[in-house]
Amino acid sequence: MATLTRQDLNFGQVVADILCEFLEVAIHLILYVREIYPSGIFQKRKKYNVPVQMSCHPELNQYIQDTLHCVKPLIQKNEAEKVVMVIMDKEHHPVERFVFEISQPPLLSISSETLLSHVEQLLRAMILKISVCDAVLDNNPPGCTFTLLVHTREAATRNMEKVQVIKDFPWIVADEQEVHMEEAKLIPLKTMTSDILKVSHSQLFCTESQKLNEIL
Amino acid sequence: MDYLYLDNIDEFVNDQNKIVTYKWLSLTLGVHVNTAKQMLYHYLQQKRNEGSGTPLHATYLVSGKCVENGSKCHKVSVVREDKLNAVKAKMDVTISVHVYSVQRAELKDSSPLYNTDYDAVKENIKNCNKYSTIRCAAAVPMSSAEVQRAQEMALVPPAGKEISKTGLNENTSATPKPSAKQPAGIMGMFASKNASKSQESSKEVKTEQKDDSSLVETSKSKTASKANPMSNLFGKSAQKKADEKPNKSIKEETAASSTAPAIMKQSQTSPKSKIDIKDEQSKVSSALKVESKDTRNKTKRPEVVDSDDEKMESQQKKRRRIKKPQPDSSDDEVVPDSPPVPNVQTPSPKKQVKREHVSHQEVSITNNTLTEKGYVSESYSESEEEPEPNSQAKDSSSLKQSFGKREEEKKEKREKKTSTANKPTKQPSIMGFFQKK
Repeated sequence: MATLTRQDLNFGQVVADILCEFLEVAIHLILYVREIYPSGIFQKRKKYNVPVQMSCHPELNQYIQDTLHCVKPLIQKNEAEKVVMVIMDKEHHPVERFVFEISQPPLLSISSETLLSHVEQLLRAMILKISVCDAVLDNNPPGCTFTLLVHTREAATRNMEKVQVIKDFPWIVADEQEVHMEEAKLIPLKTMTSDILKVSHSQLFCTESQKLNEIL
Repeated sequence: MDYLYLDNIDEFVNDQNKIVTYKWLSLTLGVHVNTAKQMLYHYLQQKRNEGSGTPLHATYLVSGKCVENGSKCHKVSVVREDKLNAVKAKMDVTISVHVYSVQRAELKDSSPLYNTDYDAVKENIKNCNKYSTIRCAAAVPMSSAEVQRAQEMALVPPAGKEISKTGLNENTSATPKPSAKQPAGIMGMFASKNASKSQESSKEVKTEQKDDSSLVETSKSKTASKANPMSNLFGKSAQKKADEKPNKSIKEETAASSTAPAIMKQSQTSPKSKIDIKDEQSKVSSALKVESKDTRNKTKRPEVVDSDDEKMESQQKKRRRIKKPQPDSSDDEVVPDSPPVPNVQTPSPKKQVKREHVSHQEVSITNNTLTEKGYVSESYSESEEEPEPNSQAKDSSSLKQSFGKREEEKKEKREKKTSTANKPTKQPSIMGFFQKK
């Protein structure tokens, strides 16, 4: 990174970068902790000075990266309201949803040197919370898949359809089935507020246990 | 003796869903670590006796003497409760067992344990040993003059130290460092995508961290300098032998816990790096040893040697490859965004895939990329039927030959020269990776 003075830094870009990096790590970690994919494909890596599990599967990584790459401009313009990672069972009914609500404070400014290390600390805490979330969640049925949704504004959707940020990686409007979850129970996991962004991570999960009991 | 601490621990564990390690507890409550351990034990006993609702999970720190691979060692490991008895039985002498942490969640790996301690220790960094029993009278903070002197010394380090530092850096520094990846097994399948990404991300991370950047330069120069003597020592024909030797050395390393006598020059770096890595590991969490001991050992040990070997070999490969620039047109099919992957696919010797053309990308890109790609494709060859879209550096293949496929190397070389066709590769399905496991 070339040395830039503070005025030169495109603050929105910095925030979007930080957030997308965090989302990538969080998504990989959720995949690991919720056992969506076998743990063999994960490898320990370091982020924010702590070990995290990241997948090594190239296509999976590419999918996540492409998704976040498309989400990044939305975050930059503060149009992304939330990024949701939905875990679905074999019939594509959502079983769990990890919701990252993102908002930027209206007056964005870099105020102090310790800013980024503070943000790092908060993000570390978030990662820790994800790691222990299985204490409050039921086990998922086998054969789950996941998908990523972004809640944004109508205008932004049109833009995304017009300008394909990544070739052959189209975004489509999500089905109502994927978005809406019956009998959802809200379990807040962590909220972090800092000068540059506010992320609250909550998780809705469907108490579909009744249906599951019938099958079993 | 008041039992308020039981309520405190209860609040931390059940209400806040925290992981309570003894270190964190001692720093939070301001008590000696041994007291903290006893508190946790007492809490566990009480909760278990009550038999109340929420299940608690605990991890224990077991330390004792055992004989591993023929050599005696003192082993310290963090184990989950369900594995505690098995680990204790395996030891000849169990020296100490105590509660390491208590939490509600059943942890899948040891990272959260480190994470919980990290911030607590960081805040108390000046006196994080206040409650500890480990003491060293000679360990006092350096005066600023001494610190300055040390920094100046560090700027002119001996080559060996650099190399060992780099080895250490490679293994502990930021995100995807394929050199730190385990070649065998599922990891092997993951291809150059990681290499390219890691290249960029590793560069970014390195610019963030000052000391890393200097090490990057030194590592690059080191590989260049190392490559030259290596290329002198080994000609094309001797390449195989050279490959076999590090393979043997890697094999020995994986077999024995002691540093293997590596034949190559890098051997001097590998023992150092291994020691450094071991220190790092013990610092981070000794859970690595037990919870996934076998796989981890394989990962950690050959890593350093491999990375060094790879660089050297990739350099050599680079020289040879320049003669044969090969546009990898069919790379696009496999992964559009990733660096072009040579997708030659031959059925029987899967090694052949590895040996295929080095993508000329390798030629033009820096050592890091070369190293990474080579390394990745190497392990890639391990997979059985799944064709790897990423069949890059054969250099790495040579390294992983430790699993006894030397004849194929020769075959590969021959075929590499003759086969030029770009056969389309099948995209691997996830099932292939699972079978690999």
